[in-house]
Amino acid sequence: MPMVSKDFEQVIKFRQALHSGTLIRLPIVEVSIIAPSGKKRNIPLLFDTGASTTMLSAKLYSLLELQSWNQGTPCNITNASPVLAQGYQYQASMEIFGKVIACPVILLQLPHNPLYQGLLGRNTIFDEFGFGFWERTQDLYITANP
Amino acid sequence: MKVSEDFIGSLRTIIESVPTNATSCKEFLADLDRIRMEWNVTKTGALGLKYWRFFPGFVSEEEAAVIRADRPSTKEGSRMDWLSENLQLIQERYADQWIAVGDHEIIASAPTLPELLTLIVDIDKPLVTFISAEPVEWEHAYGI
Repeated sequence: MPMVSKDFEQVIKFRQALHSGTLIRLPIVEVSIIAPSGKKRNIPLLFDTGASTTMLSAKLYSLLELQSWNQGTPCNITNASPVLAQGYQYQASMEIFGKVIACPVILLQLPHNPLYQGLLGRNTIFDEFGFGFWERTQDLYITANP
Repeated sequence: MKVSEDFIGSLRTIIESVPTNATSCKEFLADLDRIRMEWNVTKTGALGLKYWRFFPGFVSEEEAAVIRADRPSTKEGSRMDWLSENLQLIQERYADQWIAVGDHEIIASAPTLPELLTLIVDIDKPLVTFISAEPVEWEHAYGI
């Protein structure tokens, strides 16, 4: 009888930080941004199944070797209701969990957080992996062979 | 860390094999229920098994922290661990600076990202982040 196998090669522990006396734990992953010149620089991103597209802080435009953050295709970034921010979309190459993926990214003005410089979203990227999300044990399980 | 031989033996038996005398699919599924292994039969008739099982009380939370700290998931993971564990000190020292994080140290800092990149031009895959002097916002949500 053939069985569906869902096992994982990588485990990423949630990162934690103290905020106003409360320990906050977040699924943060490290991603390599590959510039057009081939340079690879890593940034931390929040793993976000609710983000349809990967979003990066506007401040990171020089990692993509752009002259400014707002020279791409304009797009509106929203939460539940009104338009929240203006973003600009680009095509970028990233190395994620050992795979190089060309995918859309959006630069926008994000709130400051030293532990993540953007949100790792679904578009193109999630097709390449399988994820197991264990909130209780504070682990993110990853397979590159879904 | 004290874990009885019996407990380890039980774990080993469960992990290495699942004994069953089932003679039908229904009985086999009942055996899976008996050992509390989660399963799902799909519309196409495939059997899905959830591999991960958790055994509460294997070690204390303090011992778990030691074990987890000794086993970073990746090289990159250890840099992120170090950054998050030392965040308060780093924020105090590098407020409003871009930093590049190496193995348990800040290898470069600069007021702008282009300046930082010139300092780390020969380093492969440095971990780069911005340390704001403003209060950190922890909760927000976006979508398009």
